[in-house]
Amino acid sequence: MKKITTCALTVVLLCSLLPAQEKVDLFGYFESQFMGADIQGEFIQLYSNKLRIDLKFTPSDKITFAANFDYITYHGKTLWNILDYLPATASEGIPEEMRAFYVLPFNDRKFLDNAFIKLALNFCDLTFGKQQISLGTGYAWNPTDVFNTKDLLDPTYEQPGHNAFRADVPIGGSATLTALYAPGEDWKDSARMVQLKSRISHFDLTLIAVEKHWRFHDYTKFDAAAMDFLVFPERRRLIGAATAGEILGVGVWAEAAFNDMESTKDFYELAVGMDYTFDFQTYVMAEYYRNTLAKTDYRDYDLNDWMRMMSFEQKALCRDQVYVLAQHPAGDFIQIGISSIVSITDGSLVLVPMFTYSFSDNVEMLAYLNFNLGEEGKANSKNMGNGGLFRIRIYF
Amino acid sequence: MRHIEEGESAVKKIVCIIGGFIILFSWFLFGQELTGKDIIARANDLFNVDSSYAKAKMTILTTSGNTRTFIYDSWSKDKGEKNLIRYLEPARVKGQATLMLNNADDIWMFFPRTQRVRKLASHAKKQKMEGSDFSYEDMGGGDSFIDDFEPKRLDDEKIEGFDCYKLELTRKPEGDLSYSRLLMWIIKDNFVPVVIDYYDEANPDLWLKRLVQSDIRIVDGIPAAMKIVMHNKLDNTQTEMEMLEVKFDLDIKDEMFTERELKK
Repeated sequence: MKKITTCALTVVLLCSLLPAQEKVDLFGYFESQFMGADIQGEFIQLYSNKLRIDLKFTPSDKITFAANFDYITYHGKTLWNILDYLPATASEGIPEEMRAFYVLPFNDRKFLDNAFIKLALNFCDLTFGKQQISLGTGYAWNPTDVFNTKDLLDPTYEQPGHNAFRADVPIGGSATLTALYAPGEDWKDSARMVQLKSRISHFDLTLIAVEKHWRFHDYTKFDAAAMDFLVFPERRRLIGAATAGEILGVGVWAEAAFNDMESTKDFYELAVGMDYTFDFQTYVMAEYYRNTLAKTDYRDYDLNDWMRMMSFEQKALCRDQVYVLAQHPAGDFIQIGISSIVSITDGSLVLVPMFTYSFSDNVEMLAYLNFNLGEEGKANSKNMGNGGLFRIRIYF
Repeated sequence: MRHIEEGESAVKKIVCIIGGFIILFSWFLFGQELTGKDIIARANDLFNVDSSYAKAKMTILTTSGNTRTFIYDSWSKDKGEKNLIRYLEPARVKGQATLMLNNADDIWMFFPRTQRVRKLASHAKKQKMEGSDFSYEDMGGGDSFIDDFEPKRLDDEKIEGFDCYKLELTRKPEGDLSYSRLLMWIIKDNFVPVVIDYYDEANPDLWLKRLVQSDIRIVDGIPAAMKIVMHNKLDNTQTEMEMLEVKFDLDIKDEMFTERELKK
């Protein structure tokens, strides 16, 4: 890791020292973020600073090299014991000596997030290296995306890069066939994906098949040899479809995926959404999400459900949810809005009023509050606390 | 001698008849008043050249005197039916791109940091472009002046120093632009719409915006406004677009207007 970091820094510094290289672009942003939360009577705060440096080199129309290096520092409460925020029904029974294993640390990080070479051939684009894999049409949830899980409080935040070889083959003017291979330790451990994206009338249509090595952990048992919770690797095969278009002037999208699991139970995910912009510029959106891996009764949520959701092994705790959002430009470069994540399954919800302001051409601010309004044990329970986030970002 | 005089008289008569014909024909040819449809058709042709490229600087000026500046490249083809816009500055939006096909009935946005392409429904055309006073539908080309509106010629007027035809365009019932009517002043000499007033969709008396085109130059044989200002009458803001580079009738391939190119 240290070697990668050193290499990345060297590349970035070298490029900054090469003004003669007119085709080298150096840009990025610095982000300062404050998170605070009142959790069970205690106010805790976490502060982070992130520097992202992007590099793009285009020696010709057909070749692009792009990379970005991230350096993130954390301050304040950097050790969070997840058990402190879970309902007693989920955390009871855990031996005292095991409680330390549920601590989530926020350690300073420096890493090469994306670094890839893209070759634009006449008949296809080939991309080699760490790259973004963005799949699906959903806003808050993407059933067809097994590579990323979005933060529901901030669904548009950038995702980590993934190591992969990718080929995008255009077919005619409106269709693209994509093949992707994300190497793991061996063939079995690697991910493979084929996707066909096309357009019919005003609708985008996507068919996708993915095979990926999946790892569910049992968070009630600890493997002393591996110094980790017990892991159950298995093959996951996903077949899915997505569409986005418009019906009677209203934007609509849908995304569904069936997951064939080698050992655990098969499940499907579905996301259906719609959005509209009124003449007075207010934008509204709603998205429904179902995940049959998740539970139908909140009294059945157990420690594994909570932990697997927090570690992004599964995307939901409760089977049926709705995400709603309303935004309105409230003045010069100011947007105000409110979003809510509602668990239909257990009747709990989180309310997120938000505010964005473009302070200058390259400085923007985001602030939101989150209020969990659910009974103990439910997906958005008061135990999770009420809090907020303030972020300021400067681009260069 | 008498024979000569009779001949001269006959020539005079023929000349008079031919002269009369010419005057009559000229009146028929040029004296006919251009209708609103004729004028808007000529103006529409100017707006929608076969293909074009422009590099533009867009400056938003707010009521508080703050400014935001964007620089972008744009390409269009098939008389504005296909459009691609890619932002160059500021760094905050660099690489973001918008593809509009079918006269902006189909819109895709590309976000470079997530490499995500998002399909937008046509209602997104109403949204402000990067917070400016231009909406996406103001930017889209195509034949919407003809297809979505019924023109009516009003009395000619002089505006911004130009002798102009004045038209009122009233939205047809099936029209899908979010303005109930437009007032348009079109320069008589070159058919460039020099001023356009936009009125609210629900209230035809509510004046929303005024677009003023100036610094008209002949580029590749076509008169083009190098400066376009949109004044927002409700918010008292304005957005100025300055053309840094313009080219017309280029050989732009259809591949330029695909998702592959959008993600470049």
